[in-house]
Amino acid sequence: MKRNKPLALVAGAALITLAACGGGGGDDEGSTGGTDREFGDQGAGTKDEKLQGPAEAIEGATEGGTVTVYVAGDPGPNSLDPTEGWSVLGNSIQQALTSRSLTQYKRGPDGEPVLVPDLATDLGTPNEDYTEWTFTIRDDATWEDGKPITGEEVAWGIQRSLDAEQFPSGPGTEYSKAYFEGGQDYNGPYTDKGKAYDAISFDGQDVTIKMSKPFPDMDYWGAFMAMGPAPLGKASQPPNYGQDPLSNGPYKIEKFTVGEELVLTKNDQWIADSDPARHQYVDEWIFKFDQDQAKVDQIMLSDNSDSQTAIATSIGSDKYKQANEELGDRLVQQTAQCVSTLTPDYTKITDINIRKALAYAYPYNDMWLATGEVPGVTRVPANSVMPPGMAGKVDGFQPDGEQITFNPEKAKELLTEADAVGYQINMVYYETDPLAVAGQKQLTKGLETAGFKVKATPIQVSPYDIWLDPENKINKTLNLRGVNWCSDWPAGSTMLPPLLKTGAVYNTAQFSEASVDDEMDNIATLPLEEQADAWGALDEKIMTDYFPIIPTAFRNDLFVFGTKIGNPSGDAALGAPNYKDFYVMQ
Amino acid sequence: MSQPTAPETLGSLSDETPVDPNSKQAKAIAGRSPMQIALGRLVRDKIAMVCAAVIVFFLVVAIFAPLICKLFGVSTDTVFASQYLDMLGGGMPLKGPPNNGFDPEHPFGIAPQSADDNLAYWVYGCRTSLTIAASATLFASVVGIAVGLLAGFLGGIVDKVLSFFIDLFLTIPFLLAALTIAPILNDRFSLNDNYALIQKFSLVAVLAIFGWMGMARLIRGEVLSLREREFVQAARVLGMPTSRVLIKELMPNLAAPIIISVSLMLPAFVAAEAGLAFLGIGVTSGASWGQTISKAVKYFEEYPLYLWEPLIGVVLLVLSLNLLGDAIRDALDPKTRR
Amino acid sequence: MFAYIVKRLISGFLVVVLVSMAVFALFWYGPSKPAQAICDRETSNRCGDRIEIYQENLGYNNPIYSEYGKFVKGIFAGREITFGATTYQCDAPCLGLSYNTKQPVTEELVSRLPATASVAVGGAFLYLLFGIPIGVAAARRRGTVTDKALVSSFLFLSSIPYYLFALLTWLYLTVLWEAPFVSDVGYFSPISDGPLKWFGGLFLAWVALGIFGCTQYTRYTRGAMVEALSEDYIRTAKAKGLPARTIVYKHGLRAALVPVVTIFGIDFGILLAGTIFTERIFEIQGIGWWSLQAVGNKDLPVVAATAMFSAVMLIVSNLIVDIVYSILDPRVRLS
Repeated sequence: MKRNKPLALVAGAALITLAACGGGGGDDEGSTGGTDREFGDQGAGTKDEKLQGPAEAIEGATEGGTVTVYVAGDPGPNSLDPTEGWSVLGNSIQQALTSRSLTQYKRGPDGEPVLVPDLATDLGTPNEDYTEWTFTIRDDATWEDGKPITGEEVAWGIQRSLDAEQFPSGPGTEYSKAYFEGGQDYNGPYTDKGKAYDAISFDGQDVTIKMSKPFPDMDYWGAFMAMGPAPLGKASQPPNYGQDPLSNGPYKIEKFTVGEELVLTKNDQWIADSDPARHQYVDEWIFKFDQDQAKVDQIMLSDNSDSQTAIATSIGSDKYKQANEELGDRLVQQTAQCVSTLTPDYTKITDINIRKALAYAYPYNDMWLATGEVPGVTRVPANSVMPPGMAGKVDGFQPDGEQITFNPEKAKELLTEADAVGYQINMVYYETDPLAVAGQKQLTKGLETAGFKVKATPIQVSPYDIWLDPENKINKTLNLRGVNWCSDWPAGSTMLPPLLKTGAVYNTAQFSEASVDDEMDNIATLPLEEQADAWGALDEKIMTDYFPIIPTAFRNDLFVFGTKIGNPSGDAALGAPNYKDFYVMQ
Repeated sequence: MSQPTAPETLGSLSDETPVDPNSKQAKAIAGRSPMQIALGRLVRDKIAMVCAAVIVFFLVVAIFAPLICKLFGVSTDTVFASQYLDMLGGGMPLKGPPNNGFDPEHPFGIAPQSADDNLAYWVYGCRTSLTIAASATLFASVVGIAVGLLAGFLGGIVDKVLSFFIDLFLTIPFLLAALTIAPILNDRFSLNDNYALIQKFSLVAVLAIFGWMGMARLIRGEVLSLREREFVQAARVLGMPTSRVLIKELMPNLAAPIIISVSLMLPAFVAAEAGLAFLGIGVTSGASWGQTISKAVKYFEEYPLYLWEPLIGVVLLVLSLNLLGDAIRDALDPKTRR
Repeated sequence: MFAYIVKRLISGFLVVVLVSMAVFALFWYGPSKPAQAICDRETSNRCGDRIEIYQENLGYNNPIYSEYGKFVKGIFAGREITFGATTYQCDAPCLGLSYNTKQPVTEELVSRLPATASVAVGGAFLYLLFGIPIGVAAARRRGTVTDKALVSSFLFLSSIPYYLFALLTWLYLTVLWEAPFVSDVGYFSPISDGPLKWFGGLFLAWVALGIFGCTQYTRYTRGAMVEALSEDYIRTAKAKGLPARTIVYKHGLRAALVPVVTIFGIDFGILLAGTIFTERIFEIQGIGWWSLQAVGNKDLPVVAATAMFSAVMLIVSNLIVDIVYSILDPRVRLS
């Protein structure tokens, strides 16, 4: 899932990260008095297919109040169309508050995400080889106009996700198109108007989806709001529907100004009994997008009447010390289930020792400082592609024996061993962003100290424009790229194949090993309970045997809560504030 | 903010009392050229002299930037940030200001987040500022003088067309134009090996393209009146070629307005360069005062020195240039003194 | 008289057309792939080959004159604009659709106008409120210590770059000292948020603009007053024994104001065209702020529209000033 930020504001090293959802979250450590925050054990994600509404009441919760959420440096979603939603920010708000889908996540007792039913009565029924899934839509769920949600509307909503022309940035382009039967040839109900598509069918409240290949993660995919209902026909016609979609969650859209503001008010047609995980304590939500970080920090640290019922989704690194000392458990650290990587070109840098030398030559702490992160807090050292808390991750293994840190001497040794001292590195950096420029300076210094030669070309477009375009002239000259990637759900299948399968779009390392590809295909056919461990083992094997990608950091977010926000916590599934469970203390 | 300068309207700061033409003093200065008279006036203007001293200081800093850095043992080279900064303390320096007093290795302190040396960046920022402003002034003046001379001297249709262009450029909002054009130029040239240099050139070009009109207008006006004067008429009657009339006869008489114009153009360009960098346009690689200011704004409470260093640099330089320019105008153009 | 106005109107119109052509061409030939920004945004940076679809949709493959024609037609009759798979209706006067929000640029421009207009009106008001009385006072006391002190302190003030002056005002008054009344800067609608909040939000911006801008007016007024007060008719008035107050304000100021008012007209146009620094520093979400944001987002239609809007504001204010001046001072028309 991508983090939508205006390009100018995002650090080049931390540009747009794609994919999120998933993972565990030992967060709100509640450390006070300026101690270093440590991560608790990451509880891996679980499922609870029997959970029914209403959601368990939050202890001490009271009704009423308005919550203002300040979002710094991110303009928010362009469109609220559920089919289009694939950003951490937009999805975390809409999935929690306005747009229901087949399944959803609930915050478990240890902060881990638990997959529970939403509009469906359970987590779906697959056939034996996961090529056909059936979901039964509950009868008591309603739209904001009071009408019941039908199986037909859910089927229609899901069908919309196949329209890659109409929703080019929607998550359906990645999953519906790839897994649904005939998804590659069918371009959706708007582009292929009138064309029949029978992989998605409904019978009363039962919705059945046929797959072209085994898709054991359909229940996770069902937690995306793209896998939810849409009103039939004209009523959900894009692009207008995206400005004011019909809500079916506990809140409805009162006002939406792109890039500025989203106001949500109570949806009195929402029936608490129909929803196993959402609450409706707060009267009104105001999301303010694209705020100035310094201004937000100032508001949140002042503890005046405005900030007491406010939430900030980030804090400036310059204010971290003060916030950590003053805010206590109102500063919440949340794993974002994301990994930042450097990707040496596997076809050009063929010697594993040079790839390892790069890992030792990367000045981790210096990069994080220069790009406005808090080392060890918002960025933590990484050991592999799968982020901590993901089911199956092998804990504590290190691809090179111990945690790789910045060690130019070791890098030099490796380079000497590979007979490649003075190895030429060609890379690009996003010159429009001062933080990216500062980061590149540190990186160049690190690589050069370790004995590499560096040619860093400044570019004016997002590096992904270069990295992802195989025909691009500059891209052909590069031998070091990068990707930041977040999981879409807590399973290795959303981390390893997108980054390391031959020919995958985001495989900027150009990594290709037939045995690895085969293993990835193989895992999808294993019994469900064995898959997690199989992914973890593959993760370890790839890193140990090939080291094709240099994981530079796992990412965490910091959220700030006002003194009157009840139950301050993070949503581990999305790496966002846990909007489902907040209340305002009266 | 980008007002064309209108030299004929300003009051004066000069302390000089009007000289009675029959006094001894007046007799003593008889036989000096107007330039010498003006220079004499300027030297006696205390404010002007203080400003000139400040400007000389900045010039020295700019010219001897590498030497000064060597002297203090600082450089603009990147250092590993984590060795000098408090990682959990908001990226603040471990040594030196703002929390730990003076650090002799970094007299101006170091920058938070990146640990760049502030003194080195200040010194090179001064260099950037002055080079860009001076080059822009040079280009804008050459264009302005050429257009003004041609329009004023040739008259007729040429004058009409050129005047139209002067007016046209005056109606384009400078700041917005610069904001728009600079990224386009960067986009075009970012792959070039000399990108850093091209970036500076494009900034100079943008400044010059929107800065020549004031000069052109002024020169045109002067030439219009000079053209009808006897010595020019005489030269033309004698059959002197136009180019010679322009250069030999007209130019010397235009020295005063040109000097005035240039002296007011410089501070405007220094301010514009820093302002654009503050908005995130212009020089992105290398040192620039405006860029440092925009980075430092968020630290103004925790680390005010970081903000004030470049800020004082810009203010002092622009202020001195402006005041000196004003004094030069007064000295050259006694009519404005009332 | 009438002929002069018609002449100025025609040339003003010509300038508008030329400027719009120049801006259009700049965004046409400038970026190497003008559609890149929208394509990136639509596809989450997986643009790749799709760039051609957007280049084609947005007409970048057609000759520039035909696209300029469409643009002009859009201003008068509206047009349809296609991004990827979706076609949007853009009603007249259509200046295009924002790449960012896909809303008609005209609508957003209109919605941001009140903020910029509020800044402009308040700032311009203070130009005159401070500038003219101080200028008159200085002129009346010409040569005295007061005059010198006023002139030199104003010269000093105006020699500081404006944006730094504004920045410091904001940092210290609003952020650090949280001075009452100006602690909540920004534009608030006088109708929905109440006039008091509107006033408080803009107050500091006005004062910063006003104090800085009035220095010029003080100079102009002082200069013009000094000249006016040395005219023969003033001497006549003095000789008649009229009270000093009447002479200064009724006879002197009236003559002195003509050039001041004309400069004011142009300045007001500049303010209306968007005060980028003021809006950026005082967080006023007007046209200047918007254009700055659009430059950062590479939102070409918005940048083009704001550039054209600003140019038109300047041209129109120049035009009005010229015409008004020609009415006030008949000598102008003859030259």
